[in-house]
Amino acid sequence: MKLLLAEDTKDLNRAVTMMLEHEGYEVEPVYDGAEAMEHIEKSSYDGIILDIMMPKKDGMEVLRELRSRHILTPVLMLTAKTEIDDRVAGLDAGADDYLSKPFSMKELMARVRSMIRRSAGFGEQTLRYEDIFLDAEKFALTAGNSVRLSIKEFELMQMLIANTDRELSTEYLLEHVWNGETEAQEDTVWLYISYLRGKLKSVGTSVQITGAKGGAFQLVSGSEKSGGDQ
Amino acid sequence: MTGQSIYGSYREEMEQCIDEMERHISALREELKKQRGMDPVEHFLSRIKSEESILEKCDRKGLPRTTESVLFQIHDAIGIRIILSFISDVYLIRDDLAGMPEYEIVEEKDYIRNAKPNGYRSYHMILKTRQGFFMEVQLRTISMDTWAALEHHLKYKRKIGKNEQLIVSELKRCADELASTDISMQTIRDMIFEE
Repeated sequence: MKLLLAEDTKDLNRAVTMMLEHEGYEVEPVYDGAEAMEHIEKSSYDGIILDIMMPKKDGMEVLRELRSRHILTPVLMLTAKTEIDDRVAGLDAGADDYLSKPFSMKELMARVRSMIRRSAGFGEQTLRYEDIFLDAEKFALTAGNSVRLSIKEFELMQMLIANTDRELSTEYLLEHVWNGETEAQEDTVWLYISYLRGKLKSVGTSVQITGAKGGAFQLVSGSEKSGGDQ
Repeated sequence: MTGQSIYGSYREEMEQCIDEMERHISALREELKKQRGMDPVEHFLSRIKSEESILEKCDRKGLPRTTESVLFQIHDAIGIRIILSFISDVYLIRDDLAGMPEYEIVEEKDYIRNAKPNGYRSYHMILKTRQGFFMEVQLRTISMDTWAALEHHLKYKRKIGKNEQLIVSELKRCADELASTDISMQTIRDMIFEE
């Protein structure tokens, strides 16, 4: 079990890290929001503990950003005293739980256990980009026609739709769609990108995936750039 | 009706049209086998529409029950169905037929790119032969054929009941899953051929 702990107070960070490690977790401690976001982008965690008040990027910003990127890792927020507004905002932004400072280590450990027990599951919603719909209930990709996707194709499509503003590297996709599974390789990503390209074409949309084998991929509308692929 | 066939004396010529098409496809298969080491055709099927069903079609379309109607007003008295391995093979055969001077394309419907609302997928061509007969050619993959065959069986079992809607949407789901698999198999094939 790998956890990310983002807490700017050095002593508290050290104490919580030690406690969690003692409980058998693998912990990566960071000291500000920007650093937290960097770690979240780079690797996958079973849970994230986020302090709200942090330099560079506060916990709320980190939370909003990772949720908007469709990273569904459970998040426990640490809020100052009993700031109800903070707690409400945190939960609304996609935190799974919160704990007010000061807290007992015993309670923190219990909340971490509880957070990890709850599995994230799939975001049950329909995503949409240009004329395509991705239906999470039916695992269907629809434009003029529809086709059913396999789970990995679906997860990859979800990730692409949630990140149309940027290119996602093969490494990023291996980390976040295949969760670092060792059997998954560069070729796996390329094959699944190729599946999705065929399926996008078959549903009759002009939406395309740009990028070449081993490189970075992005979902673009057909009228936008069309160079580089196919 | 008497024992006289609705196709009159044309039946033999119609059979010749089928034979010609079959010979052409066989030659093409041989050529492709040599070229690519793979025969794209799984099955070649043909039929002349039964008297009963063509007369029923005349009635449905409000046409007189005459030889003229069944040969020149109705376009599927001669039916050819070619079952292919991969989606790209469907278009390969389509292009081949379109390039043949012996046939004039009267109509084409791509129900693969534009699937019917129930999920049916196939490529349909109405060809006019040198002799002036019409021929309906259906091109589809094994998956598309599987779905069409099974759906056809179920259609007769289905009672119009509360489950109608569910059954229709589930059959469509199966069609969409098979279509998805077809594209995956095509992608894998392309990847193998690229290397």
